[in-house]
Amino acid sequence: MLALARRHSTLLGLSVITVVAAVLVFVLKGQGAVEHAWGASIDLILGILPSMLAGMLMAGSLRQLVPTGALAKWMGAESGWKGLVIASAVGIATPGGPMAAFPMVLVLSGAGADIGCVIAFIVSWGLNGFNRILVWEVPLLGPDFALLRFISGLPMGFIAGWLSRRMPVKWAPPGDLSA
Amino acid sequence: MTGRLILIAMALACFGFALRRGIPTGQRALRETRDNLIRIMPMMLVAMPMATFLAELVPSDIASGWLGPDSGISGLLVASFAGGLIPGGPYASFPLVLTFLKAGAGPAQMVALITGWAVLAFHRVVMWEVPVLGFRFALVRTLSSIALPLLAGLIAEALLPLFPHLLAGR
Repeated sequence: MLALARRHSTLLGLSVITVVAAVLVFVLKGQGAVEHAWGASIDLILGILPSMLAGMLMAGSLRQLVPTGALAKWMGAESGWKGLVIASAVGIATPGGPMAAFPMVLVLSGAGADIGCVIAFIVSWGLNGFNRILVWEVPLLGPDFALLRFISGLPMGFIAGWLSRRMPVKWAPPGDLSA
Repeated sequence: MTGRLILIAMALACFGFALRRGIPTGQRALRETRDNLIRIMPMMLVAMPMATFLAELVPSDIASGWLGPDSGISGLLVASFAGGLIPGGPYASFPLVLTFLKAGAGPAQMVALITGWAVLAFHRVVMWEVPVLGFRFALVRTLSSIALPLLAGLIAEALLPLFPHLLAGR
């Protein structure tokens, strides 16, 4: 219910920004600019629609083929760099928005993953989640840019995980009374 | 648009693999595609006009100057921080990036901006990370990833010569 409200508030917020921007364009630049921007957005929507549909089909199919979560046993504190690599890969393979990914941190740490691995997971999910790349990044920004961005982001989960193992601040999952 | 054809071919191949696991798996894949579509389509229909209207309003010297291909480290830093401030999901950030790119922003700067949006994500820290995982987790995570947008931008800058299409686009 809360997630539903959040989703609709986002749509509302986007709509408000759009209307305000349209009015500003009209006031500052005249009707011609409004028509130009409107035409550009129609072109944009029609242009990316096929890629977006393909991206969604691909994401929906991959989701049936790739298991996640069962890998937590390889993500313990003793897992070293291999654990960080596995955690980053699981982050890439985890579909869905924050409502799915943040609870997944609890699942992983409950199954034995250490702080380095859960950080590697969440950073890698946020930056390189395949779902978002396929549905948004490739259709909108093109495969070349998406590839450059993906390669540039690939080491980031690993680096964040490695750093977090050396942070002086300690973290225990909520609900753990020993914390 | 060979990129689009490749994506469509890959999507059909993945769907084929799902179907080989059995008809129910294929049906689940289709159902998830449909759910995704219903969820995302309204966002997209609003976000695209938003991006094109904003594009009319963004002074082109911000994109091509502050965030331009020659803006160097300071451009990467501005982009990283600005990325962290963009609220909302991909439906908000990617149309904005497209807007900036069309207005002349540099690809490496936009890599830094997307990375800043994805790993700093100040709004997500407040809305999700602190409530679900606690303040300490958010602190460790933020400290561990604060330098990553700049780093990603530098990597992208170094890799840029390998992507002639992106350079030719400006």
